Amino acid sequence: MSDVIAEIRKDYIYGLAKRQERADGRALDEYRPIQVETALIEKAEGSARVKIGNTQVLVGIKLQPGEPFLDSPDMGVIITNVELVPLASPTFEPGPPNENAIELARVVDRGVRESGAIDLSQLTLPDGKVWLVFIDVHVLDHDGNLMDASALGALAALLTAKTPAERYGYGPDAPLPIKEYPVAVTAVDLDGEIMLDPSLDEEMIASSRITVISGAQGALAGMQKAGTGTLSSEEISRIVKLATSKATQIRDDVLGGLING
Amino acid sequence: MEFIKNGKRIDKRLPNELRPIKFEVGALERADGSCYVEHGGNKVMAAVYGPRAVHPRHMQEANRAIIRYRYNMASFSVEERRRPGPDRRSIEISKVSREAIDPVIIKEFYPRSTIDVFVEILQADAGTRSAGINAASVALADAGVPMRGLIASCAVGKVDDTVVLDLVKEEDNFGQADMPVAMDVRTGEISLLQMDGHFTLEEFEEALQLGKEGCTTIAEMQREALVQKYQGEGHE
Amino acid sequence: MKKQEMMDKTIVVPGDLLSNEAARAAEGTYVEDEKVYALIYGLLDSRDRIRVIPLSGKYLPVVGDIVIGLVTDISFSNWKIDISSPYEALMHISEYPRRIDSSEMSKIMGVGDLAIFKVIDVDKSMKVELAPKEGQLRVLRSGRIIEVSYTKVPRVIGRAGSMISLLKSKLDVNIFVGKNGRIWINGKAEDEELAIKVIKRIEREAHTSGLTDRITTFLEEEKHGVY
Repeated sequence: MSDVIAEIRKDYIYGLAKRQERADGRALDEYRPIQVETALIEKAEGSARVKIGNTQVLVGIKLQPGEPFLDSPDMGVIITNVELVPLASPTFEPGPPNENAIELARVVDRGVRESGAIDLSQLTLPDGKVWLVFIDVHVLDHDGNLMDASALGALAALLTAKTPAERYGYGPDAPLPIKEYPVAVTAVDLDGEIMLDPSLDEEMIASSRITVISGAQGALAGMQKAGTGTLSSEEISRIVKLATSKATQIRDDVLGGLING
Repeated sequence: MEFIKNGKRIDKRLPNELRPIKFEVGALERADGSCYVEHGGNKVMAAVYGPRAVHPRHMQEANRAIIRYRYNMASFSVEERRRPGPDRRSIEISKVSREAIDPVIIKEFYPRSTIDVFVEILQADAGTRSAGINAASVALADAGVPMRGLIASCAVGKVDDTVVLDLVKEEDNFGQADMPVAMDVRTGEISLLQMDGHFTLEEFEEALQLGKEGCTTIAEMQREALVQKYQGEGHE
Repeated sequence: MKKQEMMDKTIVVPGDLLSNEAARAAEGTYVEDEKVYALIYGLLDSRDRIRVIPLSGKYLPVVGDIVIGLVTDISFSNWKIDISSPYEALMHISEYPRRIDSSEMSKIMGVGDLAIFKVIDVDKSMKVELAPKEGQLRVLRSGRIIEVSYTKVPRVIGRAGSMISLLKSKLDVNIFVGKNGRIWINGKAEDEELAIKVIKRIEREAHTSGLTDRITTFLEEEKHGVY
């Protein structure tokens, strides 16, 4: 499969951007429909399938007792992994995670970790062990914006996760102590026009992409700029403002039931 | 462990009864063909890409397509988290699964190309290779790949000296025998056969017959799912 | 839908037994022991000969096909062209209507350009050669491009070109349908948009009967609804 995009397709998308329009008719700051389905994988301690338009990811949470890090013996451990399996796109290949999968995993991880989404101090166990929290993102269909879908999937899955305490003889199962709700919002820059939730075409054409992760208190928890283009500081400020307010909206609309439930 | 009580198994099924099975054709957007299957507690997604160009080039065959099959388990698909990536088990399963679907595919139409089949086990509950083959066969049809027929697969085994169809986890782990089979549905010929455990020759014959009956039932569901994809659409 | 329409639109899957009359077997089927079976998943057409019309699958080039190709690379004397097929095609520099130097190739047709080609050779190992359609290279520099499955192309064109004529008569657009499923639409922006909407609907409903009538109505409604 060739990665070459027809020039007239690029011209069309840039032409639309100049008129503040997009190929699928969305407003520049509008997301494709978001669907979140939780507890699909009963064998996982928590799970969520997220669809953003045709993009589809499945996130599973597994918990195991294990050794804490030496420098933080009183804290649980988060391990995040992303599999870009070749089922999800003609451009993905089998093999160990490549730089894109690793970047994706690390950005999702940073959002969860730095926002303090999980109160790791509550994940200690009486025998000196701690809970190891594995966040595994399995990408099923890649149609653009895997970053937001993966981060949303991770949070939704964590919100439904329970410690398997009984199985390991640590008393009754309990929900994970979730303290913050980080939501990732990704924007691309097309000739100075900022678009949220890039489609695959937009993502491939754009020279810069930026992901902003913010919590319910409005504080930033993580950011990542990708692509070979550059952005002005004014543009970045604009994107950050736009992204945090969009994150609030997504948190309320999509995760409201899970957070309050 | 007692597996059969009053003629019923631990999940209340009869010895010759399949678990509930659900097929969804065309579950993915990017793939050329796809199918999602729930088979008991198994949740499996299969995608087909191709025929498409082969990379690396030295794998090309001058006069036919090659078939590649990748069976992969999600790390959260089992009780204990599994390390991502292929292990010896999944490499063997990929090989026998590829050989199970290969006989019905017409490869001569597509020289120098590959037909790639990817099977992701999202949740495993005994019989994942069979569920994968069933999904793959439907995904191949969905991708428009020319085939002499569909392939259906299920496992048979033995618990409490009784031959049973479609084992669940406990029966698989603690039973006396496990034998996955796959069948060319049109001809009734067997394209996958593995076995471990203990069967007498009589039990083996009985098990094979039961497996073929199971495959026939599954094949009807595969066919129905494919027909359903285009029924009800665009009919005002 | 009416019963009669459903009757000639049976969905079959590979391995389905279609007939005992081996002599009537046509494309999308195979014969074994004098019996005709479905080779692919698709629509059964048994009005005359027995054939299965595919609903999906990859385009295989045939000599004489007119296709829309995408230039993916330029080597010393060939343009490499993606034709939405498992096989990459080549157009040799000598097929260009006038004598040019290889240094001029990318100016004439560069990576990312789309153009209309004719398939002039396909060998046994599926090496595909292209030439400009009708001896004159047409690079598509404006308008829109969409891709449908090549299997839907006959429905998009319609019987004797009826569907395309319908679109062209109602809309201010030029449409070119490549045999490989790439469709080029060029004209007034709103009309391009509507033409694409219609073609996507044809693609979705290609397996149903009475399509031309439904599309005619749809086009009328959309035109009046939109403007």
